[in-house]
Amino acid sequence: MELRELIEYRYLWFELTLSELRTRYKGSVLGFLWAFANPLLTLIVYSIVFSNVMRIRMPHYSAFLFIGILSWNMFASAVQASAGVVVRQAGLVKKIYFPRQVLPLAVVGGSVMNFLFSCVILLPFLVAEGYYPTISWLWLIPLTFCEAVMAAGFALLVSAVNVYLRDLEHVLSIVLMLWFYITPIVYTPSMIPDRLSEFFKLNPLSGCILGFQSVLYFHSPLHWKLGLYSMSFAVVVFVVGWLVFSWLNKRFAEEI
Amino acid sequence: MISSEVLPSIEVRNLTKIYRVHVERNNSLKDKLIYFGRAKHRDFVALRDINLSIMPGTTTALIGVNGSGKSTLLKILSRIIYPTSGTVILRGRVSSLLELGAGFHPDFTGYENIFLNASIMGLKRREVKERIQEIIDFSELGDFIHEPVRSYSSGMYMRLAFSVATVIQPQILLVDEVLAVGDAAFQEKCLYRLKELRRTGTTIVLVSHDASIVQRFCDSVVWLHNAEVKLVGPPEQCVPIYLHETTGTSVQPMSFDRVAHP
Repeated sequence: MELRELIEYRYLWFELTLSELRTRYKGSVLGFLWAFANPLLTLIVYSIVFSNVMRIRMPHYSAFLFIGILSWNMFASAVQASAGVVVRQAGLVKKIYFPRQVLPLAVVGGSVMNFLFSCVILLPFLVAEGYYPTISWLWLIPLTFCEAVMAAGFALLVSAVNVYLRDLEHVLSIVLMLWFYITPIVYTPSMIPDRLSEFFKLNPLSGCILGFQSVLYFHSPLHWKLGLYSMSFAVVVFVVGWLVFSWLNKRFAEEI
Repeated sequence: MISSEVLPSIEVRNLTKIYRVHVERNNSLKDKLIYFGRAKHRDFVALRDINLSIMPGTTTALIGVNGSGKSTLLKILSRIIYPTSGTVILRGRVSSLLELGAGFHPDFTGYENIFLNASIMGLKRREVKERIQEIIDFSELGDFIHEPVRSYSSGMYMRLAFSVATVIQPQILLVDEVLAVGDAAFQEKCLYRLKELRRTGTTIVLVSHDASIVQRFCDSVVWLHNAEVKLVGPPEQCVPIYLHETTGTSVQPMSFDRVAHP
């Protein structure tokens, strides 16, 4: 399938992105409010824990952690949820034609939307903590885009492979947990021992997460090299994911 | 009427479909590693070297006993499964109604599913809004349209699926036995709708076991038997032979045990 066809199906993508969000909160009393309540409650927990229970010497540690966690969650939730999406949507896949790529891409869309909603909590909180908006906040747009492309690449890859190898979904949660700890989210790059720091730079997600932290927390210029590395990695993963998906997708309806 | 300039809506050339039948499913990691690349399966020929050409605006019935390959052919035409070899050319917007349900999300209401389903068929939200009342009215579901479709009966499911699939004015419509689910009154209504579509030039391919529907409604019949095309022709000619051969005493039992190269 070509990208052109995907553009024809953008309404379906939009519709499925909405349904992704709807199913996430369906049946709960607060419903859609959870998109805001969830980050807000997380934030409250962090604030209590890190200002009263566990004293971290870093100033505004809960703000730092919150930025990292939210931007990480956009990636991790997209990849984790897309692993099973083709199997979950068997009712559609077995009954009707549409480019199957739309399924994982809609999961990514849902995660990005969710991230944007949580920014409604994050950004006012930062202002309250004394981090005022600057023009460099505009960098958030390309950073989000870069992370979304990378998430889409991995999402295409895992959603296709998971149809044939269902174990992947379970392996993935362990891999993502490990990945979380090798990404500078709970700690800053300066806390990494020197002999390991080169190794940590190989992590393609570091560029994105550090970008978010630089713009919102450190107010420092972006790490150009890391950013470009992340962006090129994202494009490569997307292309590979796309090709693998297109190759594996032929027998989806028979396998699920 | 049909000049040689007109290209067929559906062209099938040398189509073969072989399913892999897993003797034992090797889905766990251990089994995948042990049987890597040589998973135990045998081949099942669902369709063997099919050639068809269906002209625009005509209605074709696929007939044949269970397991003869009708649904597989329809699924390949709908692009849900891919042929093992051969080509399929479709000219025009395809809408399909396979078995029960045309691809619904069980947790969503009928109303939400109309949007989802119509967007799969390429409609914009605005276009769906313009037609939504027509779809709901045709389905006669009333207030049930706001209930999740998992609570629907098979008849209700089919009503909704049929309404969405036909209101969008497809150029090619593929229908698999769904008519049998509806009650007599709704069946008539569906046939009437199909006739309307046919008048406006829609090419229809349907699978049916109902000889009277086939004879009343179709321009031609394709009879599949044991994965191959046995006979193509007008219904008045094919249906009697088909009925005679499959219900008479001269039945040749069809085998579900077809392997690729015995």
